[in-house]
Amino acid sequence: MRNILEKTLLGAAGLALSAGLAFAGPYDEYKGTTLVVNFPAHPHYDAVRKVLPEFTKETGINVEVDQLQYLKMRERQTLELTKRKGDYDLIAYVVFSKADYVFADQLENLARFFMNPKLADPSYDPDDLVTGYLENIGIAGGKKGYLPGPTGSLFGIPYGSETSVLGYRKDIFEKHNLKVPETYDELLKLACEIPKLEPGMGGVSSRAASGHQASHAFLLHLAPLGGRVLDDNWNPIINNEAGVKAAEALKTIVDCGPEGATSFAFGEALNSFLQGKTAMYLDTTVVAGQINDPNKSKVVGKVAWALHPEGVRRGSQTGGFGIGIPKNAQNKEAAFLLMQWLTSKKGDKLVALAGGNPSRFSTHEDPDVVAKFPHMPVFGEALKYADPDWRPIIPVWGKINADLGTALSKVLTENLDIQEALDGVAKRAKDTLMEAGYYTWQ
Amino acid sequence: MNLNKLTPYMFLGPAIVILAAALLYPIGYMIYASFLDWNPSQYIGEAEWVGLRNYGNLAEDASFHESMWVTLKFASIVVVLEMVIGVGLALLLDRNIRGMSLLRTIFILPMMIAPIVVGLMWRYMYHPTVGIFNRTLKDWGLEPVPWLSDSWWAFTSVVIADIWQWTPFIFILALAALQSLPRSALEAARIDGASEWQQVLYIKIPLMMPVLIVTCLLRLIDAFKVLEVILVMTNGGPGLATEILALRIARTASEFRELGVAATMSNYLLILLLILTFGMFFYNKAVEARAARVQQRAEEDVK
Repeated sequence: MRNILEKTLLGAAGLALSAGLAFAGPYDEYKGTTLVVNFPAHPHYDAVRKVLPEFTKETGINVEVDQLQYLKMRERQTLELTKRKGDYDLIAYVVFSKADYVFADQLENLARFFMNPKLADPSYDPDDLVTGYLENIGIAGGKKGYLPGPTGSLFGIPYGSETSVLGYRKDIFEKHNLKVPETYDELLKLACEIPKLEPGMGGVSSRAASGHQASHAFLLHLAPLGGRVLDDNWNPIINNEAGVKAAEALKTIVDCGPEGATSFAFGEALNSFLQGKTAMYLDTTVVAGQINDPNKSKVVGKVAWALHPEGVRRGSQTGGFGIGIPKNAQNKEAAFLLMQWLTSKKGDKLVALAGGNPSRFSTHEDPDVVAKFPHMPVFGEALKYADPDWRPIIPVWGKINADLGTALSKVLTENLDIQEALDGVAKRAKDTLMEAGYYTWQ
Repeated sequence: MNLNKLTPYMFLGPAIVILAAALLYPIGYMIYASFLDWNPSQYIGEAEWVGLRNYGNLAEDASFHESMWVTLKFASIVVVLEMVIGVGLALLLDRNIRGMSLLRTIFILPMMIAPIVVGLMWRYMYHPTVGIFNRTLKDWGLEPVPWLSDSWWAFTSVVIADIWQWTPFIFILALAALQSLPRSALEAARIDGASEWQQVLYIKIPLMMPVLIVTCLLRLIDAFKVLEVILVMTNGGPGLATEILALRIARTASEFRELGVAATMSNYLLILLLILTFGMFFYNKAVEARAARVQQRAEEDVK
């Protein structure tokens, strides 16, 4: 008797609950929740902050943003993610943190959210997310562990991602009747011709400062010129013919660049282009918003964009940020809803219009976005060649990267022989990889 | 009776506890960490014990050697130059000039500026095209200097910045030492007809020595650990030309994510500093002992 009563009561309660849910919107359950998110100080995330009130209005979920300089952010996250109960519900992470966080089992696998019918929006359209970015930033566990493949799965969604494009001064190119370089040969030739045509002006703005900066600049050239840092068996091949060619390209560009270029970090390289001291810029797309800002730029309206020149293949960089949910987050479901909303077609467009970097192909072609930012179609085209393997995303990469950047800086400033420098990098990389166990199966 | 004997230790107790907790525990932690392969995503308990491997690897690591060499070179050059300039300035300004207190305040301003700001300031002054130095050189029709983009110049540039920032420290201490010297000794020397130079060389500097040695030691220890200014100015480049040990330790911990190796480097640095400190300490002891002997002999002669 008691049993029957209990069953009936439970059944009634269940019915009432499901009836309630049938009428509820997907966000109702989380109304009033406050999410704490960790974002970098970065133009894209400045745009995101402008859009977040819209999310709160639509869903009733509040978002508190902790914005940090991006290297500081990584340090903070490393501490935060090892805590038993984390303060962050959603984090933006730099692409090379993917290896560390996934390996330390600190990021949620997104499958269980996308499988939950109450959370996953059927109109999300994941095919529209930029493939190269998704593979580079979101997926882990596939080929070589960090690339996509049958064994990979999703840990984050690209957000505020970047690729590389060539910016050039329309006025200078018209004045001297120059052709926009499409190949590396043309680019390098032109880079050194410009200082002769326009005395005092450098060819291409490039980073070159010791460490990460020089390494980044070199890797930009390595992929299109046919090189790789490591082969499929983790052997360093950075010192092969393509590697030497890429280093030579970097040296040519820096030698024919603006004065003092060997000490330039990203900010200085960009600034020399904005100040009209170079005719070309080959680096990340994130700068597009600043080119036409008269407070920062002396070249407003004078810059046009083209694809990253082709070497033996096309391959532009993939980088920037993705967003993921920490394993120790307190409000994972609501965090997923925010993540989904931000990267949905609607959210992506709103952020693009506010000056962010879109993560979807469709946003790059959206008429409203293109009307406001005419460079978008070129950027969208560049994305098709975004190369997820332009640098390895493995935990020891930080060390190899720093060593590579130091050796290249010596090539640029102390005239160290290129082959010798890269041989040294390859040898030390091999030792580092050996110690980390990459040759266990050989 | 027993209690009486224990009393002094009881009074010392709190100090010993604080010392152990605040000083020995962190150092012990660092020494322990130097035997681990520890990545910042792990708890310390999860890290793998690797014994002396970190020490062995570093002993063979060319980049570490280069950092060590840069550090030694940097510390010795800046400390020598700062001592010479600082003491020299103090000797020159040890007199009654009107507005001296204002002047002194201005002199120690660089010391009061946050190191990050000092780094940024110098970095912009050294900027190849818009920096004040190269613009001035160009206005005078001279060739611009690759301040931060050439290894030799970059090293020189960070030395200049450090001298600018820290000479005042030595100046202010040297001046204080000078002003507390016994006037009678100087007066006696003047009566005996000692020239200005003789007064400086044989009276003032020897009497200032104890202060100067401590000052020098403090500066030396600091110079071994300077980080922010160089981090902002060159980030260790070009190549490894300005990558001093503190910077390498910071990069090893945050960029390479090898906390164990970073701790090992810190230990090497600590050992080096301890050797220097003890060296200075014993030298000081020896000098004092000799002075005491000389004085004793002099007193015996008088008798």
